[in-house]
Amino acid sequence: MKSIKSLKLITMTLILILAATACGPTSEPPTAVPTSVGEESPAAEVPALEGGKLIYGLTLAPSGIDPHVNASSELGIPLTSVYDTLVWQDLNGEFVPGLANSWEISDDGLTYTFHLRDDVVFHDGTPFNAQAVKFNFDRIADPATKSQKAVFMLGPYESTEIVDDYTVQVHLKEPYAPFLDSASQVYLGMASPTAVEKWGADYQLHQVGTGPFNMKEYIPKDHLTLVRNPDYNWAPSIFNHQGPAYLEEIEFRFFVEPATRALALEGGEADVMGEIPPHDAERLANNPAFTLLPVAIPGQSLQFFLNTEKTPTDDLRVRQAINYATDKEAIVKAIFKEYSPVAHGPLDAFTIGYNQGVVGMYEYDPAKAETLLEEAGWVDSDGDGIREKDGQPLKLEAYLMGWGYVPEVTQLLQAQLKAAGIEMESQVVAYPAALEAGREGKHNLIPFVLSSSDPDILRTFFHSSNADSGFNWSKVRDPRLDELLENGARTLDLSKRRELYAEAQQLIMAKALILPIRDYVNLNAASAKVKGLRYDLRGWFPWLYDVYLEQ
Amino acid sequence: MLQFLGKRLLASIPVLWGVTTLVFLAIYLLPGDPAELILAESGGSAESIAYLRTQLGLDDPLYVQYGRFLLNTLRGDLGRSIFTNRPVLQTILEQLPSTIELALAAMLVAMALGTGLGILAALNHNSWLDSACMAIAVAGVSVPIFWSGLLLILLFSSTLHWLPATGQGGLRHLLMPAVVLGFASSGTIARLVRSSLLEVLYKEYITTARAKGLSERLILTHHALKNALIPVITVVGLQFSFLLGGAVVTETVFSRQGIGRLIVDAILWKDFPLVQGGVLLAAVTYTLVNLLVDISYAFADPRIRHDEL
Repeated sequence: MKSIKSLKLITMTLILILAATACGPTSEPPTAVPTSVGEESPAAEVPALEGGKLIYGLTLAPSGIDPHVNASSELGIPLTSVYDTLVWQDLNGEFVPGLANSWEISDDGLTYTFHLRDDVVFHDGTPFNAQAVKFNFDRIADPATKSQKAVFMLGPYESTEIVDDYTVQVHLKEPYAPFLDSASQVYLGMASPTAVEKWGADYQLHQVGTGPFNMKEYIPKDHLTLVRNPDYNWAPSIFNHQGPAYLEEIEFRFFVEPATRALALEGGEADVMGEIPPHDAERLANNPAFTLLPVAIPGQSLQFFLNTEKTPTDDLRVRQAINYATDKEAIVKAIFKEYSPVAHGPLDAFTIGYNQGVVGMYEYDPAKAETLLEEAGWVDSDGDGIREKDGQPLKLEAYLMGWGYVPEVTQLLQAQLKAAGIEMESQVVAYPAALEAGREGKHNLIPFVLSSSDPDILRTFFHSSNADSGFNWSKVRDPRLDELLENGARTLDLSKRRELYAEAQQLIMAKALILPIRDYVNLNAASAKVKGLRYDLRGWFPWLYDVYLEQ
Repeated sequence: MLQFLGKRLLASIPVLWGVTTLVFLAIYLLPGDPAELILAESGGSAESIAYLRTQLGLDDPLYVQYGRFLLNTLRGDLGRSIFTNRPVLQTILEQLPSTIELALAAMLVAMALGTGLGILAALNHNSWLDSACMAIAVAGVSVPIFWSGLLLILLFSSTLHWLPATGQGGLRHLLMPAVVLGFASSGTIARLVRSSLLEVLYKEYITTARAKGLSERLILTHHALKNALIPVITVVGLQFSFLLGGAVVTETVFSRQGIGRLIVDAILWKDFPLVQGGVLLAAVTYTLVNLLVDISYAFADPRIRHDEL
């Protein structure tokens, strides 16, 4: 319990740091805890607020939307309101009861016992019980389900044992610290066994959960409609009220083109919209008809991986010089305006386990960059502005994805590196080609960003087992780092975990395996009539249960 | 005529087979791996990628995958999409009406605008009006759809609030995308109508008609246009496939559903079954449109008799 308190403290500190570093003149500061619209907690009985239809703009049409099967991060935006999870995570990172009233973890970390609520029914009338939990976890683990995400979130899952009607034990093959974090996410949400069996491969069009909204209709690429579940009476304590949701209906529509998102909001075609481009956000922030909601997304910061197996980035001094030669502050300000904090390490500052020790390891210092490069033997001998060694120019190759303002960031980076005598050639390639370039190590620099509420994400990007196939694009093979990351995944004690990840982050930056750029802040905007909108700890998923429309 | 139709349909079978096989190989050669793409979204390990590859049947040798695809296609089963796990045929058929609606509306715009501009230019040959019409035609060909689309959205949705910027449903939603796409295609038609009409206007039978004392209007509608429009039919047929292609960008800019966006996404994500299904359908459409164009010649010009082919 002590660890949870310290987590709370650290989150609060983070909020303060962020408020101090990221507060812009024209906008609200991004905060680790999402800004909520409508400060007052509405009382349980407020009939005047009830009803109404909300139109929520999604940014890309998710590929498939069965949370047990598909990997899309967008599917959680609508489906967090359709499914309940065994546990929920509050905004301080603490786990609170959901469909499970309580739970115990065995001392060896291998068995999780969940005591379930006995008053919950699925939207189709199927009772929720221990059989349902077993059915769901077994479905995810079954290879025939071809799960693309949930199965990996289950980790070293072995089996679920039904103790009695309302008690289950989940057995793991080895301790897995992120398990509760996984169990609190929609990907492990509880689906009606009746509906899953009835619809088979087409279940995604007919999803049935126990949440505050029922899935009414899903027309792929066009819209997804949810309607209020009138029987909902088991809201977790993270919400502000009990009983059915306020909204009568929520329609999700897809707005793929970034340039049209703010326009659609201003044109009244949507009430809430995510991923607003920063320059449009400035305009919306100044318009009283809209509320701008910058929400911090924990996980990986936007970062360039520096390939340790390709010249010249195989030289530590060159990688460090790249870090010193980059004026991140200038890049972030120019492209992300005042909304995103500068990143200093592999995890962004909103992530559990973030080590503040990485701040200041590489302050912008062109002189230091120059010294390091000269030490490494890179000198501009022919006066063309680019350094050489043994007749070879100091040239970097960057492979870029077209998304996430990566090309814009790279353009500024290119100019800054050039000032330090480093030439960088970059090419924007199709996403699959970029992933392939990263895997094959064709790059000196390649960017990536991925959200996650658990620091275990570092294992994906820095464990040696993922260097040849997988996403370890620094190609780092360091036994100490491997050990830290493996232990981090196995250690349940949060303060011990923190120490492990603190050292890992320190090590990653000491070896200059990456060039961090910015912490990810999702710019959501809503019509001013939308009240009570908050986002979960992951920053992506809105809590629409508490939302109401001001008449 | 029936014999002609039969021959043409038979001839299209190797075309369809060739196209699908080429596409199968092309998408296979493109860089990237669907399992890796899926797991890039959730941060999977090398082990997870290997597990998913096996689940998705991507580990099988190329000839096994190709054979599976060919056999299933012959049985009328286009398979399921890797990413959505939904039947390919159903996915495509859902998106098709929206694209056809857009393409037909754009075609109307293109024909009206194209022939209008072309006639105006030809009748005022070498005048400032001619130059103006041809300048518009050049703009139509060269202005990119995403740019003109965003410009219209800015004007009619954002500033004037007359039309919805995005989405589906009804004439109001269709208007801007159809105009943008139709405008892009009208330039080619306008230029062709102009040159074809100019050529016809100097023909002897037009001089004869004038000598008979017919009104210029009657000459134009009854004698000149009828003949001038024959080459235009071919181009209109070809433009239809251009429209299907242009629908890709238009659909993205206006967030419309449709086959264009579907296939582009499928290619980007290496969704093999969906790309193959989509291309097969595009090839079928293309073949059918060309066939229709050939048949329509006979109606436009009775001298063309397909029986003799």
